[in-house]
Amino acid sequence: MTIEHEAHYPLEVEARWKAYEWELIPAVPEVPPMNLALDEVLTKTVGRGERKPTLRFWAWSAPCVVLGRFQSVRNEVQIESAREHGVQIVRRISGGGAMFIEPPLAITYSIHVPPSFVEGLSFPQSYAFLDSWVIEALRELGIDAWYAPLNDLTSAGGKIGGAAQARRFGGVLHHTTMAYDMDMPAMLRTLRIGQEKLSDKGLRSADKRVGPLRQQTNLPRETIIERMTETFTRRTGATVGAVTPAERAEAEQLVVEKFATEAWSYLIP
Amino acid sequence: MHGEYKTPGGKLVVADFDVRDEQFRDVVVSGDFFLYPEEALEAIVGAVEGLAVTSGESAIARAVEAALPDGTEMLGFSPEAVAIALRRGLA
Repeated sequence: MTIEHEAHYPLEVEARWKAYEWELIPAVPEVPPMNLALDEVLTKTVGRGERKPTLRFWAWSAPCVVLGRFQSVRNEVQIESAREHGVQIVRRISGGGAMFIEPPLAITYSIHVPPSFVEGLSFPQSYAFLDSWVIEALRELGIDAWYAPLNDLTSAGGKIGGAAQARRFGGVLHHTTMAYDMDMPAMLRTLRIGQEKLSDKGLRSADKRVGPLRQQTNLPRETIIERMTETFTRRTGATVGAVTPAERAEAEQLVVEKFATEAWSYLIP
Repeated sequence: MHGEYKTPGGKLVVADFDVRDEQFRDVVVSGDFFLYPEEALEAIVGAVEGLAVTSGESAIARAVEAALPDGTEMLGFSPEAVAIALRRGLA
């Protein structure tokens, strides 16, 4: 069975969006390690049953490279160039590939759910399921978007974004970054993009080229986020909330102990 | 030594290592793959550390497979992909 087929999930699971009470946390700019620490803390509090299933929109206060859990810094980043341009190198708790983030050019969100929300689904199914509301929102914006398993959001106009999941701390973390716009020169001087990585992409070059949302919609970034918020709220009945003071304190401690440390960022040098 | 292999339609696996006494040593496996649980990476590295560099692809893949904790999910790569990346590092 191909991974494309594996990603189809039974339609009845759609009812789960409405079966849970949701909280939506609007974007507040955070330094890169804080965004990653909040990822871990919200997954923990959902996992402990202290917090409802949650959608958090992110905002970044500084440029950064976010490495996947298993990536090597040297293999992925032009370290000197990143340092010269004030691009911080951070590592997330989920697998997948490096992202180069310039704050106004990315749209990032994370979904934190208990394992029951994706129970019975394979990993490829759960990726497609957890981003299905975004596909709906993009279609409402006039983009003929679809999910390209395992973890890409794409359209005829090009790849829009990528997702990653971690299953830890009693919860499920699913986060996605979409390109609102691209700064190609900055990306090329920051990341390393090797030949082997591109080796199987000959046939797929058309659907793998990036098609940022600005180019595909001509809409302001805020309008896209508003549409996503509306679509998600319609689907789930989510109410607006915020990171609690206790969660923020726990995240601040994690920044110091983990996400801002070289030991974690350079876990695989 | 440094070898890379991208599973067609999947993810990249990178193997960095030294060769001492004709064995894979100080092996680091990295890449943009997904692996659950994350600790399984230690099992993968542990399985190939000290293997003879004369081991073929299928022997390396079998060693990796045998070391995986129960319930491990490898998404976008496989024991064979790890073996290919290692063998390529020798070339």
